[in-house]
Amino acid sequence: MKYPFLIIGSGLSGLAAAIRISNYCPDVLLLDQHSRIGGLNSYYYRNNRLLETGLHAITNYAPKKQKHAPINKLFRQLKIKRDEFSFKEQIGSQIHFGSDQILNFNNDVNLLISEVERLFPDCHDDFCSLLKKIEVHNPFQNTTGLSARKYLEEMISDKRLIEMLLCPLCYYGSSVENDMELNQFVIMFRSIFLEGMFRPEGTIRDFLQVLKQRFVDQGGTLRLKSKVSRILVKNNTAYGVELDSGEIIEADNILSTAGYEETLALTGRDLKTRIGKRLAFIESIFLVDDSIKNNLTTSKTIIFYNSGELFNYQQSAEIVDYRSGVICFPQNFQDIGISDPLEIRLTHLANYDLWQKLSSTPEEYRRVKLQCSARSAETAEKIIGIFSDNIVYQDTFTPVTIQRYTLKHEGAIYGSPRKIADGDIGFTNLFLAGTDQGFLGIIGSMLSGVSIANQHFLTKI
Amino acid sequence: MTRDEIKDLVLEIIEDIDEDADFDALDPAEPLRDQLDLDSMDFLDIVMELRKRHQLQIPEEDYPQLATLNSCVDYLEPLLKDA
Repeated sequence: MKYPFLIIGSGLSGLAAAIRISNYCPDVLLLDQHSRIGGLNSYYYRNNRLLETGLHAITNYAPKKQKHAPINKLFRQLKIKRDEFSFKEQIGSQIHFGSDQILNFNNDVNLLISEVERLFPDCHDDFCSLLKKIEVHNPFQNTTGLSARKYLEEMISDKRLIEMLLCPLCYYGSSVENDMELNQFVIMFRSIFLEGMFRPEGTIRDFLQVLKQRFVDQGGTLRLKSKVSRILVKNNTAYGVELDSGEIIEADNILSTAGYEETLALTGRDLKTRIGKRLAFIESIFLVDDSIKNNLTTSKTIIFYNSGELFNYQQSAEIVDYRSGVICFPQNFQDIGISDPLEIRLTHLANYDLWQKLSSTPEEYRRVKLQCSARSAETAEKIIGIFSDNIVYQDTFTPVTIQRYTLKHEGAIYGSPRKIADGDIGFTNLFLAGTDQGFLGIIGSMLSGVSIANQHFLTKI
Repeated sequence: MTRDEIKDLVLEIIEDIDEDADFDALDPAEPLRDQLDLDSMDFLDIVMELRKRHQLQIPEEDYPQLATLNSCVDYLEPLLKDA
């Protein structure tokens, strides 16, 4: 059978596009290399417990009545009722800089405004005019490539405040070293500071299940364990894909969520020059018995921290850059209830090449991985208190793990520094959605799938 | 379809997109977009639903003709006369 629509990757952008297209044309084939859907935001089982691979918090929280908020737009486009989920807002998060500066924020921007005034009294007016400018900025205009750091420096005189604001935004979505593309910055600023963080009750599995069910109910076909090894192209038109097994599937239109360079490589058109440096990360999950309950571990949702004078968001020279990081407590959302054991997730920038080299000697790779997660725990303990003696289970994803499971080249979860906003990568019927289209986060990637489906695929039904 | 049936069809489609849409004060001669607070993504849904339900292919250059409830009915009447 020749499919009118074929989608590569059942991560959140692929799933959203699949739901959107199959609502109007059921003959959609969604392929994934794995035995589970979700891409970067999937799950696995260890120690009799479901562990999520990527989820810290979902950004873009907005009440139901804000019709034009991205999250409400998204559910309307997917024709899924928001009430099918129960959303739990974050309790509160922090940005720690140096040994003494702590800026609190939550889903009410007034807290952030008063915290900025407390820590940077001279910047209060600057910050308020920044908020006004961000409110009216249209991030979907065609001005890519402007620097968010420059934009901030023109308005805010205190360098430390600029770095404190950039820290969470970079960690949750910048593929560019020490900066963000301006439109991307505005989207992230709104989604984290003005809208806010939440998570659905239950696990990411429950969330994915609702999406998958909708796609299947609309007549779509999902095929797991089907890795695409080639996209078959003649001139500038794609006519199908070849799977690892050698099977050929023909298609009229293809949407790839595999990344820009990754997709071009599948068509056999490798880029001659690499596009800038990719940022790789390492993440450790610790399950800890509840004797470490304290003020921070039970009441903070996310802590972003930077211990150095400057915030270095760049490709790590060492195997892991412990100078900054993210500490996430996935149970600390309103009305979720403390789980036992507690879960702590720690994230840092890491160096892909060094991990890649190590992985050729599995024993050494495992040893260094344990060493790094111990060092990472030690770094976090300076902020949240000692927990190393109470660990009942731990696991670590290196950039090599991420590349293996998600296809993201060099384990760069936020993809290429260059984004293709309209999804057009030079073919008549093969387009790009997902990470390298540019909308990030769970709501962002789903909107990416929806908007590329709207622009390039619905018109062909 | 009669003009009234077409009007109901359009309103039914909009209600599917936004269950809270309030038609009580709707002026059929004024743009739907402003009155019902629809954006371009919602608007595309109206076009796609017409395609799904009545196999109507509405070219992009005709979208402005769907601006108000009255203009929708005018535009759709000949296309749906046998529906």
